[in-house]
This record gives sequence, structure tokens and C-alpha cells, in this order.
Amino acid sequence: MAVLEVEDLRVHYLTRFGDKIQAVDGVTFSLEEGEILGIAGESGCGKTTLVSGCLGLYIPPLHLTSGDVRINGESIARMSMDENRKKVLGQKVAMIPQGALNSLNPTRKIKDMASDMILSHDETVDPKTIYERLRERFDRIGLDSVEVLNSYPVQLPAGTKQRVVIGISTLLNPKVVIADEPTSALDVTTQKAVIRLLFELMDERIISSMIFITHELPLLRHVSSSIAVMYAGQFVEVGTTEQVIFDGRMPYTRALMGSMLSAEPGQRDKKPFAIEGAPPNLGKPIRGCRFAERCPVVQPDCSSTTQELRIVRDRQVRCKYAS
Amino acid sequence: MKLFKGLLKSPGFLLGAGLFLLTLILAFVVPLFMNVDTETRVGLAYMPPSAQHWLGTDHMGVDMLSMLIAGLRSSLEVGFMAGTIATVLGTLIGVYGGYKGGLIDDILTLGTNLFLVIPSLIVLILLSTSLEEGRSLFLIALFIGCTAWTWSARAVRAQASSLRARDHVNLARINGYSTLGIVMLHILPYLLSYIFMVFILQTAAGILTEASISMLGLGPYDSVSLGKILFDAKASEALTDGAWWAFVPAMVLITVVVFALFVVNTAMEGIFNPRLRK
Amino acid sequence: MLRNNPTLRHIAGRAGWYFLTFLVAVTINFFLPRLGDASPVDVLMARAAGGGTVDQKAQLEKEKQFLKDFGLVELDAKGNVVEDAKGRPVRASLLSQYKSYLFMSLQGDLGTSILQHPKRVGEIISTALPWTLGLQLPTIVFGWIFGNLLGALAAYKRGAFDNVAYPGALLISSIPGFCLGIGLVFVLGIKLDWFPAGGGYDDGLTPAFTAEFLSSAGYYYILPFLSIFLVVLGGQAIGMRSMCIYELGTDYVKYAKLLGIKESKILLYMFRNAMLPQLTGLALALGGMVGGALITEIIFNYPGLGTALLTAIQTYDYPVITGCTLLVTVTVLLANFTVDVLIGFLDPRIRVAQTGSK
Repeated sequence: MAVLEVEDLRVHYLTRFGDKIQAVDGVTFSLEEGEILGIAGESGCGKTTLVSGCLGLYIPPLHLTSGDVRINGESIARMSMDENRKKVLGQKVAMIPQGALNSLNPTRKIKDMASDMILSHDETVDPKTIYERLRERFDRIGLDSVEVLNSYPVQLPAGTKQRVVIGISTLLNPKVVIADEPTSALDVTTQKAVIRLLFELMDERIISSMIFITHELPLLRHVSSSIAVMYAGQFVEVGTTEQVIFDGRMPYTRALMGSMLSAEPGQRDKKPFAIEGAPPNLGKPIRGCRFAERCPVVQPDCSSTTQELRIVRDRQVRCKYAS
Repeated sequence: MKLFKGLLKSPGFLLGAGLFLLTLILAFVVPLFMNVDTETRVGLAYMPPSAQHWLGTDHMGVDMLSMLIAGLRSSLEVGFMAGTIATVLGTLIGVYGGYKGGLIDDILTLGTNLFLVIPSLIVLILLSTSLEEGRSLFLIALFIGCTAWTWSARAVRAQASSLRARDHVNLARINGYSTLGIVMLHILPYLLSYIFMVFILQTAAGILTEASISMLGLGPYDSVSLGKILFDAKASEALTDGAWWAFVPAMVLITVVVFALFVVNTAMEGIFNPRLRK
Repeated sequence: MLRNNPTLRHIAGRAGWYFLTFLVAVTINFFLPRLGDASPVDVLMARAAGGGTVDQKAQLEKEKQFLKDFGLVELDAKGNVVEDAKGRPVRASLLSQYKSYLFMSLQGDLGTSILQHPKRVGEIISTALPWTLGLQLPTIVFGWIFGNLLGALAAYKRGAFDNVAYPGALLISSIPGFCLGIGLVFVLGIKLDWFPAGGGYDDGLTPAFTAEFLSSAGYYYILPFLSIFLVVLGGQAIGMRSMCIYELGTDYVKYAKLLGIKESKILLYMFRNAMLPQLTGLALALGGMVGGALITEIIFNYPGLGTALLTAIQTYDYPVITGCTLLVTVTVLLANFTVDVLIGFLDPRIRVAQTGSK
């Protein structure tokens, strides 16, 4: 059984004026144990919304349209917010946020914020046990636990803070970890250390599988075992790392990979890719291929026929003309 | 310019500016058409409103409406003058310290903090009491300005300090521009919108301070102001006599003017500030 | 000892800075009123001379006494007035006047009142001070606390509660403090006659720790209290609301939510982090609040420093004026110092920056 199963997930959000924006429009995939799925795509393609869906966290104006998300067979898509907070967040699925450097409460010692997290899931644990668990875990991930736990975030360097965030996120041994650009503000050496840490955590079975979001190509290649390319709320190509990066069959994939190559590694700036045009407006129903307007090899009937994912050369591609 | 257009679209700005404009008209334009007489006694003290005197008479028997209009004018003038002095002083000190940095900045900051902590009303009281006579509107405005500059100095300094590290400033310095030149050409233009907001707040504060100082009996000797009207009302027991026209209109006017300025400032903050914040 | 303890060192540093400020304040307090040319002795002489024959010798003696009382003449080792060749008292220089003023102030001796000569300023102030402290201290403190709570609530709940509370607070804080006071006196005191319109207690009573007096004082306390309290409340609520809205949008709140941390805990985070800049704001605003409260006292004829100051100003009673201003300044400085030290203990961000640890 797969660790994470996402079945035809659709998520929308309501704007102030009442428009319904379908940010995720039919995503299906499953994550096996030990698998690291990389997700690549332009900003606005729905990655963040998909992450919310995988967490089961729907904070208005975000709403679940339809579909299901299951962790180890248990559906989490329609839980109440309270249940979701207690059982899922941090416990079954955890997220390593993007701006990790500011993610720690500046007026709370590390050990206090970490213990807040533990207590929020299980009120019965006593402080001594908590502190020991924290020490053990932090030592394991290569931090000087006594010093770090008793510090305030402002006293720690960026690399240490990133480790702390990873440590806290994985404290309760979540099955699935979603890392959203976890290394974008770090220098190359620290990046390497962080990635290595994530691998170690997977090797030691502290976490089972990971979803890794990034727009840095070398990182994508190095980390992922499989890659899903996302565009306008849908996956447009899903395959192994080698397949997607070097042999993309969907025109968008090729264009995306090409533009990612030209972006400098480590650059946090999300400038629009060198693909001309812009993604379609997701507030209106869309006919045909969503990439048609910008596709370099567009055919006359691309805009009128809805594209489904088909199997082309052992991978899924959402393009009628891919071969 | 684009920002200015944004301002014109903001409802807060329009409301505030509109209200303020009304008070300006009342203070400066209406007297051109109406007989504003603050000297002649037209009746007994604190006569209630009537057809000839819409707001009755004050403690000397003078037409209240005239007193109010004259008072509004004085208060606005004092506010404006005090606001200008406070803003100019504060900007000079703040920009100089903020841009120069180092020892000069430390000294100026120490001085500013010193005067920030010592209550400015107290200093104002002390200044004003030294003059038994001749407390003209101008002198009062001068005193208020000289005691109110501290917070604008602090605020402007913070902004100037963050500009110091910008590229174009460094370039100018390398090219040998004098300090004054750099300040005038490269720092002030970016601060203009901020300084203007400071000015608005200082004007509002000036009007309030004048009212406060008049309540203490340290108001202008030779003219009327809204604060003085309130002081006279209190001193002549108009409150206990129930003569609402003696103080309610003055109170309303002060509140409206100050409120209008606050609203304008808030509207401006919404439009200008994202630009200036890191 | 100071070397090893950065916190103590910091407190000592702040104390030193505040003492320096105090010296500056005393200096200002001394020199500013003397910018003009009012002479308290002339005033008193004029008063003393009114009616009756003029006896030269008696006049001179009186003048010498007055000059001595106000520290305007040189004294010899025995405390007698030094005289020049013509037998006239030698006026002390401004500098020596300043020195004796400084010396006296540090000892708590604030001189003699002109109006109520020979009553000493200290006596006048010590009667008025308890009333001022009793009114302003609780009012400002509670106004601050509840204002912040209100602001936090509005930021968290939003919706209907915020839509009512926010404009309300904005309006109240736009009304000049004493205007609110006048309004309350007029509406509740005079028109509706629910509360007394002025004074600190019933006319027939004398201050004492009796139940009768205390309940009367309490009754008279309500309106002035409301006056100041509401203004502080409104101002704080607005500031706190903005701070909280900002905190709610920060990365760490988002992360805490993602971790599954309880909502109540997150609210605590928000509140604590928003409160701390508010504390800094409190230090800055204290001077203004105290000034505004003084004027409120005047409106209510409250027997505190405000009324004493007003009387002194109107009668050109300089020693009392400077005595009151000095006292108010000292109080504000003390309060600021307390808040300064408190912030250091409560906010780790500032504590680390202050003491430069790690």
C-alpha cells in the first residue's frame, strides 16, 4: 500500500468578489515508501495549494472541491479542522516551510516551541520526557542539542536554524514530509548539508517518503527519484528523474527544463521563466490544452480537445501529440 | 505622480482632506462674506443662541460664532506654524544624524532621546511662563515647534539611516559630492512623502498642544484660539451653568480638524509606506 | 560584580543615562522660567507694602528675609545675608543660584511658594501628589492593559466585533483627551446629574482615612477616571490591533499552524510578540499621557498637581510651577526607567541585543 495516495484532487479558493479559482484541477498520484517525488513548475501553477491538499489543511478561502487524499489508507481530506490538527499535521504529514529562517517564534526558546508542538498532539507527556526526546533527536541530526535547545532563534546561524526546523517538523516521525524550497536562502555548502540530513532521515526510517518542491534543476535531479511537472493546476508529465529532465515528452516539460537550466542555482528570486506568455486564468472553465497558447509546437486542435494523461514511453504525459 | 493618483482614489484621503478643506473655508473664506467681530459686546455674557447670534455670546458678551471662526483661524495658524517648525527642525537633525552615522549620529540620538523622555508639555510650560506678557500666537507656535521636534527627528533619522546604504548614495559619495549636496539630491527626495506625513501629524499635534497649553492659562495673550475659548468657558463656569454653546462648538471643531488630519495621514500611510519600508 | 553580569551592567547603564537626563531636566527647570524678568521678591514686597506706613528699616529687613527665602542672595558661613558697603544685600550670581537649586532639589527641598508665603512648595505638592498619583497611575495602567486586550481581540476575531470596535476606538482617540473630559462632565455630571461635576470629594469633608471620606472620594473619582481611561484605551487598542494583525501574518505563525500547534498557543505567541513593541511605545507615550491627565485634573477641579499648577501659573508663583514640573518630570523618568528595565527582562530579542550575549 502506498504511503500517500492522492485521487483526483480538486481544490479551489474563493476570491473576495466570489469568483471560484480552481487552483488544483484533478491531480492523481501515489507516493510509495522511500520515494522522493520532486514537483517542478512555475509560480502560480498550484504547487502550494496541492501541498495544502496533501496536508488536509483547508483554511478559507481555500476549499476542497472533490477528490480524496489518503495516508496509509486513511482518508484525511474531509476531516474537521480540529481532527486534522491533532492527527494529521505534524504527525502523519509534516511540512518544511519555505522561509525557514523566520519560521521560529523569535521570543520562544527552541525547546519551548518544540515542546509546544509535542504537547499539542499529546497532552499527557511530561516535560522531562519531552526534553529528553528533543535532546536525543537533535543530537541525532547533528546539532549540539543542549546549546541549541536553550537558545533563541536570533542566536542561531541560518544553517543551524534550517536543521532545527527540519528537526521540529520531523519530531513525531511523520510518514510524509513535504519540503517546500527548503534550501533557497542557503549557500551551497549548507544546502548540501541539509539535503544530506534529509536523506539520512529517510534512511533511518524517521520519515517514509518525501515530496520535494524546488525550481533549481541540479537539486531536483539530485534529490528526486521521480518528478511531476505541474502546470495550471494539473500534472502534465510524471516520470522518473532521468525521463523528465533529459527526455521530456510534453513540450512544456522541455521548455521548463530548459529555462531552469538558465536560472542560477541558489537564486531565491522567482522570476518568470523564459517561456513567453502567462498561464491561463483558472477562474474560468478551460477548454483544451492549458499550454496551447504558449506551446512552441501547438497544433490546430490543441485548444479544443481536453487533454488527459496518457502513457507515453513508461511515463504519464498530458499531451495528445507527445510520442 | 502615480502615487498621487492612488491617493485621490482612496476614500479615507478624500474624507479627511474634504473635512479639512471645509474647516479652512470656515476659517479663511467665510470671514470675507460675514462680519466677524470679536471686539464688540453685543449682549450679556453667555446668552443662548438666537436668530441674530447663531451660537450665542461668550463670557464677555461677544458674538460666539465670530469668536469661533477667529479661534479656528488662530488654531489652524498655530498648528501650521508649529508643525512647520517641528518638522523642519526634526528633519534637519534626523537626516543629518541618520546620514552621517558614527559619532555625530550617536550624539544627536542621545540628545533626541533625552528630550524625548522629558515631557515636552513640561518644557513648554516652563518656556511659556517665562513670558508674562507678549505671548503672541507666533511665539506660542515657536515654543510648540521647539518642543515637538523630537519624535520627527527620531522617525526621519530611521528612514535616512536606511537610505544611507543605497547604491546611488554611495555613487554620489564616491563622485565627491558634498554632504549637503548628497542630502539634498539623493536623500531628501526619497523622504519627501514621509516628511510630508510627519508634517501632517505635527500640525495636528500642534493644534492639540495649543489647546492644552491654553487650558493651562498659557494661551495667546492678544488673540482668540479654540483652546482659549475652552479655557474661558471653564473659568467662567459656563460648564456648570449649562451653556453648551460656550464649549461644545469649540470642542467639535478641534476634534474635526484633528480627526481629518489623522485620517489623511492614515490614508497616505497606506499608499506611501510600502514603498519606504524595507 | 558588574563586569560579570551583563544584565546588571545594562541596568546600571540605563540608570546612569536617566540620571543624566534628570540633571538636564533640573537645569531646564531652573533656567527657563528665569528667562523672563519676573521677580518674586518684588511681588511680595508690593503685597507687603500695601496699606500702612513705610518704615524703611522694617522694609529692608523684610526684603532681606524674602531674598533669603528664595535663595537670591549670598549667605556667609553663619547663614546671614552678606551686605555690601551701602548695606544692601549682595545678590547671588545666577551660577551660584543654580548650584544651590541643584543641591536643594537633590535633597528634596523645593523652596517657598510666593502666593502662599511662607508655605513651602514641598508642602503644597505633597498634599496634591497623592491625588494625582491615585488618579493617573491606575487609570493609565489599566487603560493600557485593557486597550491592548481589546486590540488583540479585535485583530483575532475580526468580523462584526472588529467592525464595531475599530471605528469606535479610532473616534475616541481622535477626540482630544480633555475634550472627552469636558463632554463627560457636561453630559453625565451636569445634564444628567449622575456624577459630581468637579472636585475630589464632598465639600463638607476633610481628607482622612475614614470610610465616609473614602467613599465620597471614590464617587468623585469615577468621571475623571473614565475620562483618562477611555482615551488611553482607544489609543492602545488601535496600536495593538495593528501589531496583532501583523503578527498573525508572520511566517512563524504559519509554521506553528502547519505543525499542528494548538490555536490557543498560537494566540499566546501573537499576543506576547505584539505586546513587546507596545511596551516600548508605552515608554514613549508616558510623558504625553501624564500631561494630558494633568489637564483633565484641571477640568474636574481635581485637587491634584494639575490644579496646583494652574493656580501657580495664574498667580505667577514660580517656585510652585517649577516644583510641579520637576516632580512630574521625575515621575515620568522613573516610569520610563522601569519600563526600560522591564522590556529587557521580557523580550529576548532586546535582551540579546542589549547584553550582547552569544
